[in-house]
Amino acid sequence: MIIGKARIQLEARLTAPRWLVVVVPVFSVLFALVVGGVFLLITGHPPIRTYRDLLDNGYTSFYGITDTLGLATPLICTGLAAAFAFRMNLYNIGQEGQLYLGMVGGAWAGIALAPHLNQFIAVPVVLVTGALFGAVWVLVPALLRARMGTSEIVSTLLLNYVALNLINYFIYGSRGFFRDPSTPFPQGRPISESARFDSFGTTNTYPTLIISIILAVFLFWFVRRSNYGYETSVFADSPQTARYAGMNSIWLTSSVLLFSGALAGLGGAMYVVGPAGKVDPGLLQTGLGYAGIVVAALARYNFVAVIITAVLFAGLRVGGSALQASSDPVPIAIAVVLQGAVLLFALGGEIFRRNRVVITRVAQNVKVSV
Amino acid sequence: MNASSEATQGSYRENGAAPSALSAQNVTKRFPGVIANLLVNFDVARGEVHTLLGENGAGKSTLASILSGLYRPDEGSVLRNGKEVRLSSPRSGLSHGIAMVHQHFRLVDRFTVAENVVLGSKGLSFVLQPKDIEAKVSEVSEKFGLPLDPRAVVGELSAGQRQRVEIVKALYHGAEVLLLDEPTALLAPPEVVKLFETVRAMTSAGKSVVFVSHKLGEVVDISDRITVMRDGKVTGSVKRGEANASRLAELMVGREITLAPRRGTSNSGDVLLSVSQVHLSHDQSQNQSNQPNQPNILSDINLRVRSGEILGIAGVSGNGQRDLAEVISGLRQPNQGAVTVCGLPTVGLGARATRQAGLAYVPEDRLGTGLAPSLSIVDNLLLTRDRGFLVDRKSALIEAQEFITKLEIKTPGPLTPTRKLSGGNAQKVLLARELFSTEDLSRVLIVCSPTRGLDVGAVESVHALLDQARKNGKAILLISEDLDEVMTLADRVLVLYRGSIVLEAKGVAEDFERVGRAMAGISA
Repeated sequence: MIIGKARIQLEARLTAPRWLVVVVPVFSVLFALVVGGVFLLITGHPPIRTYRDLLDNGYTSFYGITDTLGLATPLICTGLAAAFAFRMNLYNIGQEGQLYLGMVGGAWAGIALAPHLNQFIAVPVVLVTGALFGAVWVLVPALLRARMGTSEIVSTLLLNYVALNLINYFIYGSRGFFRDPSTPFPQGRPISESARFDSFGTTNTYPTLIISIILAVFLFWFVRRSNYGYETSVFADSPQTARYAGMNSIWLTSSVLLFSGALAGLGGAMYVVGPAGKVDPGLLQTGLGYAGIVVAALARYNFVAVIITAVLFAGLRVGGSALQASSDPVPIAIAVVLQGAVLLFALGGEIFRRNRVVITRVAQNVKVSV
Repeated sequence: MNASSEATQGSYRENGAAPSALSAQNVTKRFPGVIANLLVNFDVARGEVHTLLGENGAGKSTLASILSGLYRPDEGSVLRNGKEVRLSSPRSGLSHGIAMVHQHFRLVDRFTVAENVVLGSKGLSFVLQPKDIEAKVSEVSEKFGLPLDPRAVVGELSAGQRQRVEIVKALYHGAEVLLLDEPTALLAPPEVVKLFETVRAMTSAGKSVVFVSHKLGEVVDISDRITVMRDGKVTGSVKRGEANASRLAELMVGREITLAPRRGTSNSGDVLLSVSQVHLSHDQSQNQSNQPNQPNILSDINLRVRSGEILGIAGVSGNGQRDLAEVISGLRQPNQGAVTVCGLPTVGLGARATRQAGLAYVPEDRLGTGLAPSLSIVDNLLLTRDRGFLVDRKSALIEAQEFITKLEIKTPGPLTPTRKLSGGNAQKVLLARELFSTEDLSRVLIVCSPTRGLDVGAVESVHALLDQARKNGKAILLISEDLDEVMTLADRVLVLYRGSIVLEAKGVAEDFERVGRAMAGISA
């Protein structure tokens, strides 16, 4: 790009200074807020006050942060699911469908198995069953990918729509197992009380949050230290090297996809154990599966960072919805614009982490590096 | 050597009556983190072959790219017949009569020779006149001794023939100065001889040739002048007759180099690797071959390697070398035949079990197959170990540090990703893992093109490591397309041509020509 007498170019950085890892995201969020502020001004809302409300409703007030943490709980799971597959260059984008199936599996276990079990066993059974259902939902794409190289992107994506219609069928389309028989109103059959967690006090945060956080930390450790994590790193970096070392690529590919599906499914089961207590079509509105991909990308596939980005993202969601209900209602669309802006700037900021800006004077060939 | 070039040679660098056909003056070119060329002066006269010699990364390809218009210099200028020219692209270079033939050909595989040659011409009629074009292509190719069928499809040609297409293309477009970047890299020895004849035909027609190479041996024969580069700077310029290999090597590397052959000293011991009657056909392979009419990738391969011996396999790349290595290392199953490693039959066991039987394997593609490029040196040492459930990086870290000191691996540290190492240092890491790891009890080593793309200095140290492993009693199968390398190291040489062993020879200088001919498929 040439402006006046200066030529502005990007030059690849050979080494990225460590402080950039922090500075670039912070500035990205700030720029996103500035852009969002322009939208707010155009629509006649004072930006500063709106942002203060957003911050308050999403993060700094007691009920704000607990709502956010409650929403972040399954989002951490779908974020981990995406990060786990993506870091191996396996693009499972079916977290949405795997999340729904996790909800279905959890509800089934909660209805069919939990009445015979005490709470210490019932909750884990519901969670594990949900995870299994999530894994089963990715089984066919995983085997197709591992055995025949079929693109998992297309197959996992298409299964999302199948899962969506399946839930609608269970609740609105049929009077089957998952529908509550006690009322003509279409809603899910409640699971056994023994299979549910109580929330912390009067908040919307559930003990499943602790499970999500422990899981993230465990995965962080497991991938760095275990032989399985080592083999997946080699395979991700160079499938040829993995083959050379005699690793089983079919096992690695399919197991990573299955684990990824299980993590998303676990998120769905947490929703059952926690706030929902049944198959709840309300989950379909949240888009937590797709949001998991965003959360993983923002965390750059780092499992511990997923916790932070999930909370950040959930807060924008919670705070954004709260703005609608305030005295000066801000349309939800503006909150979505803000989310989009944060995402675009955060991902776009990568350019400045990888490259530096070099300004050359066209006339004299003098270099000024920034 | 003709008279006109003698005359111009004497006058170079003086602004006499005949200015250089092409020259670079005080050229500097920077890339992020490196200075590729620093105040470089270079010139080539009419009818002269001027070689640019240097190791990888010395800046010779950058200079050639500047001279041909692919890059623009940051500072300095390019002169054509004494006048400064600003070359903004290879096309503008061509309009000044300058053309570059790249190491990796830039041809359309599905087009015919003639179509490739006219590609990019301006002023072609809307409907092509194939007959006229073919006639002109034939005329050019005959004049310079470049036999080609203008109607042949380029995808079916050999590397040598494709190179001819590139040269004919340059000449067709009116090139007066040709820059040949590593032109012999993909050629069998007889093809190299042919190329040299073409180069002489071009210079006697008054054209200038800039020959870019890192191979010492060949450039002495062809060049009128040799300019050596190191670290982006010109370190010396030698005229024809004054050049000898060891002096040039010193200019290239900056220190003295041993180029003498190395041979096994001890008497060879037990047979540690034996391959008998191995066949591999196309159906089983997943790689598509360019030659579908060829029935077998490997047919009836028999060989034995003893302890303390290096058996060399010579051959032009693509004649089944990689497949042979993969069959022996257990990565691929042969249709027929047996492989025995240290007395244990290994066909069907897979790569891990074959390794446990005592086989180490250094593949041709060191970054991407032998090493995982983004993983650290430590993690790459772990690759072939028995790792258990939790990976033990501590002992690998200690071992990595030992290797770094012992083998003089240049790296910021053992946690550096291997892709950040130079080719020679990456190869040292790979060889260290396969040859000297304390965890490793291998007695047989397969090593493929171990010095491809390496500097003279690195070649010397890799050869020394292989020699040391031979002295330690390992049985080594050296598969290489670099005939010089095979002849330097191997105690015995087999030639692989189209999947069969066509010649067995002793690795002595007298056999050089016979082996070279066999590589090109000419039976002795």
